[in-house]
Amino acid sequence: MIKLKGMYDSMVRCIISEELEAGDFSKEFSDIREKSQQFLPGAKVVLDFGGRGLSEEIVCRILSEFVWPSMIHVAAWITYDAASQDMLKRSGLPTSEPMPDTRVVEKGNMGALLLHRSLRSGQRVDHYGDVIIAGHVNDGAEVLSAGHVIVLGRLCGLVHAGCEGDENTSVVARSMEAMQVRIGSRIGSLDRGAIWWGKMVIVKVSEGSVLIDYWPVIK
Amino acid sequence: MASRIIVVTSGKGGVGKTTTTANLAVALASMGNRVVAIDGDIGLRNLDVIMGLENRIVYTLIDALEGICRLNQTLIRDKRIENLYMIPTAQSKTKDAVTSEQMKGICEDLRNDFDYILVDSPAGIEAGFRNAAAGADEALVVTTPEVSAVRDGDRIIGLLESMDKSPIRLIVNRIRPQMVKKGDMLSVSDVLDVLAIDLIGMVPDDESVVTSSNKGEPLTLSTDSPASRAFKNIASRIAGNDVPFQDLDGLDSNGKGFLGKIKRAFFGRC
Ligand SMILES: Nc1ncnc2c1ncn2[C@@H]1O[C@H](COP(=O)(O)OP(=O)(O)OP(=O)(O)O)[C@@H](O)[C@H]1O
Ligand SMILES: [Mg+2]
Repeated sequence: MIKLKGMYDSMVRCIISEELEAGDFSKEFSDIREKSQQFLPGAKVVLDFGGRGLSEEIVCRILSEFVWPSMIHVAAWITYDAASQDMLKRSGLPTSEPMPDTRVVEKGNMGALLLHRSLRSGQRVDHYGDVIIAGHVNDGAEVLSAGHVIVLGRLCGLVHAGCEGDENTSVVARSMEAMQVRIGSRIGSLDRGAIWWGKMVIVKVSEGSVLIDYWPVIK
Repeated sequence: MASRIIVVTSGKGGVGKTTTTANLAVALASMGNRVVAIDGDIGLRNLDVIMGLENRIVYTLIDALEGICRLNQTLIRDKRIENLYMIPTAQSKTKDAVTSEQMKGICEDLRNDFDYILVDSPAGIEAGFRNAAAGADEALVVTTPEVSAVRDGDRIIGLLESMDKSPIRLIVNRIRPQMVKKGDMLSVSDVLDVLAIDLIGMVPDDESVVTSSNKGEPLTLSTDSPASRAFKNIASRIAGNDVPFQDLDGLDSNGKGFLGKIKRAFFGRC
């Protein structure tokens, strides 16, 4: 199914469900075009594919069957599949959540992205703000955030908080099971025998080094 | 019954896809189903060897695609069991010899004649895997209880989810209960924690698997070994029967096992 949802700044989010078969794209997109023809031309649209991987062929089809004929302006192509993100970037297509441009916002403070899913190996979230993962970050998955990162499940993959350079950011994980955490330009590492392994922790930068501590702090 | 096309996949190589495909094909056919096993691992033919049918190959999947023969001429009938067929692949071609569209076409053509179409696939996430999986409705993911195999399995599951395969179910192969008990091997429960998909079976590490593949006689044909029983149980679950899981880990007696876990709702979307 394809759904349209309003966002800020009269931006529209077009959510393409992962359950929708690629073979049904043409029909679903033409339905949406028909139903929404009053407001689609000129609208800024975020195309949100969730964890779906996109092939070159699918991107071409969406451009020619939906984007161009409906006269929309695509603000971003969102997919958590890392290989597809790379392909979109190579093609010069925007892949990160757009920022609201009427509000003055500081770097790393662009509004949080809340994700109700686990990220599997090979999946990546890249967001210009805080990220909350209501699931696990599996080994081989990546989270890049300009702000803070909170993982409500197990953190086994790679998290980079403050990836635009902000070292006042932190990473909180319900169960810390990653050998490495990045904050700003710094890298903290941990091994399996560490006392924090598998515990609920917060990771921050203090006086230039990456520090890990229990969270909440146990006194 | 509507026909079902099931791809057998894994992230890491050598974890037992071909063994699984052969044994499940035999077990499903013994239950009275019309079954065809397709060797989708193009260029690395070996399903025919494990099924003991290599000396009967005349035409391959690639010959049918190139128009050298008709699809039904590639079907090799297994004389040992009624209603069991296989389609071999070519050893000489590369994985690019087939496209996704062609693979879909072949699977659809076979739908009318079979209850189960099992597709053995190459390991990994490359085009070869995508092509083999293209025509399938559902998927079986095979992994061994090793960290690297599980991580690669996770990657494959993500891809299968984005290809709309459903259900995607897990087989944990080559379990060694003694090692699990000593803590030297991941338990099924550990594997399920990471992969968070439905478990359809566990297969113990069993020497008779090796001897049977060398002889070209899938275990489920005759032998009553632990792995053979495990594959028969999986076939029965695929057919929709409610077969209780064995406590292969030997961990459930102390409450750490997976049996409670498979019923529990998983955390997160997956
Ligand atoms: N349960 C088991 N017990 C013992 N040996 C096993 C078991 N399952 C598979 N094997 C052995 O492991 C080896 C690899 O199995 P198989 O060829 O089925 O893997 P595969 O996933 O198809 O490999 P590839 O990725 O190369 O296609 C074989 O020698 C097989 O006999
Ligand atoms: Mg194989």
